[in-house]
Amino acid sequence: MSLSAYISRDQRSGLVGSLLLSCLLIAVGLLVVYFGQRYQLRIVYAAYVNLLVVLGLQVFMGNANITNLSHSAFMGIGAYVAAICVTPVKIKAISLPQAPWGLNAFALDPWVSAFIAIAITALLAWLVGLIITRLSGIGATIVSLALLVIVHSIFLHRTDIFKGKQAFFGIPQVFDINSILIISVCAIFVARAFRESHWGIQLRASADDEVGARSMGVNVYRVRLIAWVLGSVFLAVAGISYAYFLGTISARPFYFTHVFLTVAMLILGGMRTVTGAVLGTLLISFGLEGVRYLETGPELLGIKLPELLGLSGIMLGVVIVVTMAFRSSGITGNTEIEQLFNRWRR
Amino acid sequence: MLELHNVRVYHGPIEAVHGLSVSVSEGQCVVLLGPNGAGKTSTLSAIAGVASSRGQITFNGHDLEGLSIEERQRLGIALAPEGRRIFSNLSVRENLLIGAATRTDRPGVASDIDYWFSTFPVLHERSDQAAGTLSGGEQQMLTIARALMSKPRILLLDEPSLGLAPLICKQIFALIDSLKAQGMTILLVEQNVRDALQLADYGYMLNSGNLMSEGDRETLSRQGASMSTLTGINHT
Amino acid sequence: MDYAIQQVLNALSFGAEYALLALGLAIVFSIMGLVNFAHGEIIAAGGYSMFAITSLLTGNPFVVIVGALLVAVLASVLLERVAFRPVRYADASTGLLTAFGVSMILQNLFLLLVSPRPIAITNLYFLNWPIEVAGVQISTLQVFETVTTAIAICLLVVFLKKSSFGIAMRAASLDFEMVRLMGIRANRVVAVAFAVSGLLAGLACIFIMARRGSVDPTFGFNPVLKAFVACVLGGFGSLPGAVLGGFLLGAIEVGMLVLLPQSYGGMKEAFVFGIVALILVWRPDGILSPAVEKGDKL
Repeated sequence: MSLSAYISRDQRSGLVGSLLLSCLLIAVGLLVVYFGQRYQLRIVYAAYVNLLVVLGLQVFMGNANITNLSHSAFMGIGAYVAAICVTPVKIKAISLPQAPWGLNAFALDPWVSAFIAIAITALLAWLVGLIITRLSGIGATIVSLALLVIVHSIFLHRTDIFKGKQAFFGIPQVFDINSILIISVCAIFVARAFRESHWGIQLRASADDEVGARSMGVNVYRVRLIAWVLGSVFLAVAGISYAYFLGTISARPFYFTHVFLTVAMLILGGMRTVTGAVLGTLLISFGLEGVRYLETGPELLGIKLPELLGLSGIMLGVVIVVTMAFRSSGITGNTEIEQLFNRWRR
Repeated sequence: MLELHNVRVYHGPIEAVHGLSVSVSEGQCVVLLGPNGAGKTSTLSAIAGVASSRGQITFNGHDLEGLSIEERQRLGIALAPEGRRIFSNLSVRENLLIGAATRTDRPGVASDIDYWFSTFPVLHERSDQAAGTLSGGEQQMLTIARALMSKPRILLLDEPSLGLAPLICKQIFALIDSLKAQGMTILLVEQNVRDALQLADYGYMLNSGNLMSEGDRETLSRQGASMSTLTGINHT
Repeated sequence: MDYAIQQVLNALSFGAEYALLALGLAIVFSIMGLVNFAHGEIIAAGGYSMFAITSLLTGNPFVVIVGALLVAVLASVLLERVAFRPVRYADASTGLLTAFGVSMILQNLFLLLVSPRPIAITNLYFLNWPIEVAGVQISTLQVFETVTTAIAICLLVVFLKKSSFGIAMRAASLDFEMVRLMGIRANRVVAVAFAVSGLLAGLACIFIMARRGSVDPTFGFNPVLKAFVACVLGGFGSLPGAVLGGFLLGAIEVGMLVLLPQSYGGMKEAFVFGIVALILVWRPDGILSPAVEKGDKL
């Protein structure tokens, strides 16, 4: 029996699109592995971690069209849980001497730790999701914001577990650029598969017309919840990848700055498509590196430029405002990459 | 006074009216007839500037192209929209006041409000109540009065009898008749063909965004029987 | 007893501040459905203008206060003109994200053009001195704040009920297009809404400044977050809701300070936001959510 008996035309198209996007990611990855310097490797790694976050955002925010601002918190939960599980007992004895419930008395294999981190993040997301999926519009956004603040203050307050503002150090650095490449390629396939799946289509329909979708028998809360939990898995993986590469984490990167950065990436690219998520992430990640270079006050064409702290923030804001004003559906709008190619060929 | 020449009206990507020409001269009452979806409301929306359109619309020699909703109103075009759209949380008096927002003669506004209160004593009784508490017929009266508070040169009336009891309909049509007698220029949209034609000097019959026929009262009445079978309008 | 009175006064003055801020957000939202997150940067702009006036012109506190109010109003109107006009008729999330972008730009402009570090402005401290009323120690700032908010709310009510422009603004919150069909210029209604919003932000700025005595680029972030929460609590778009939400939030915060043991001090925010989330679960549209206009044809 042929494959087409199992998957729809859109899903096949989705496979092609995911393949094209994967090629792009792998090409960038190979370029930096063979020609890049160490700091460039780190930039690409960070960009791909953010790609996981943006894909996770796309799964819920893009398909359900509900602005979510809590994603960095879930990334943080994933990172911290994995870090607590995987860090060797000897190091935890120093860094977390007061930890309750014997958290500093065990250490697990990185894979087991990652699995536990994903499971706990997904479980928490499911619990929160029961509430958040019942709200829509501004209500959902504010609850997600509340969630971000709550999680962040727990990170800061429970210094005995999370070390708060200080660095949580000693996490084994088991990931390298190859690992993140493999993970992000998988993530693209999953995100795209979800978009074209039965649930994804129902969710997108409910975003366009909630009442209409409901009257067609779509269980809006249920499909939203599925997307929300699936998105949280992406975020947990992003957090784990972040922790496993850097070896140290702290609460700061999982707060508003990161939230806005990743939201900007998604809306620039276009939140309705996976292609948009990839494009937005790459453009902003590498664009910001250029701006950061200017920020330090370099010498260009013999002219010494002044130090311009804050330039990257301004650029990010301008990107959001301009995108919203002139093309609020983002660069890709509603078009995935393979549809674009098909249009060119015709 | 009001000339539409080959006007196409759009709702987003959809073209709702495919090239309509209409002419209304001063003091006339012109009626647009047709079933649901014929493009009557779209035509009024295009004149008022609410819907986007192509083609030429001129009013008193002004080309309306590029003018905003409020600029058109200030030229003297008042719309009493379908579904009435009164400001439900505002009091009856405030609704009338807001209708006169472009006028600067306070005593004139006050006396006009008194005029409407004497014409419709119900509105007077409820002048400080929220307009949302009025009945459908009262709301329709308020809508027309609100539109006229600005002392417009033309009144665009969109389905004033929609959803009202026959007795109330009669009152509304009597009101339109008296407005006409006072010399008001009116472009009326109606599905109630017989009552509308009694008021009208001239009429246009639309279906699915196209002009089916036009003519004075007698012509349209004569065509009425065939028209009703064609468009499915209840001609009673 | 003294302690209780002090805490009630605390709650009132916090609540007053939040109510001022929330009203500023709500008045814009009610008319154009925009959640103006950049409201916080209007407050910060007021703060920086105090610094500019003090160092360039005069330290006279009244000049400083009037100047800050003016700058807040102008900044608010200018933002509408430059950033929010293109998204005026777009959906709520487009507006919200635009406002995030604007907020980010302004914060970083302050950082780039002034300084990333806090700047001290101490000439409003005179508003804040302790007095004893009937044996209870209170601060004058709290009294000023509560009274000013009460006056501002009364004036706003009079403006909205009595002036023809106020009536137009109330009408615009119900059906903006219909207001335009009455010949009222949309740009003017929106500009006035932003001006009022800026004025309220300026008032709040004065009190925040008198308490904190310094301004930095993220100065407005926390206040606007609280205002946002207060609006949502009360029901977004409802002006009475914004006031109620503001005072309720003030009460919740002070309640948390009183009830939570010292060691949980850092968790105050978490509890406050937790309660807010619970209230939203109970009433998803806020406590006094405005009635939705059902667009029925009949």
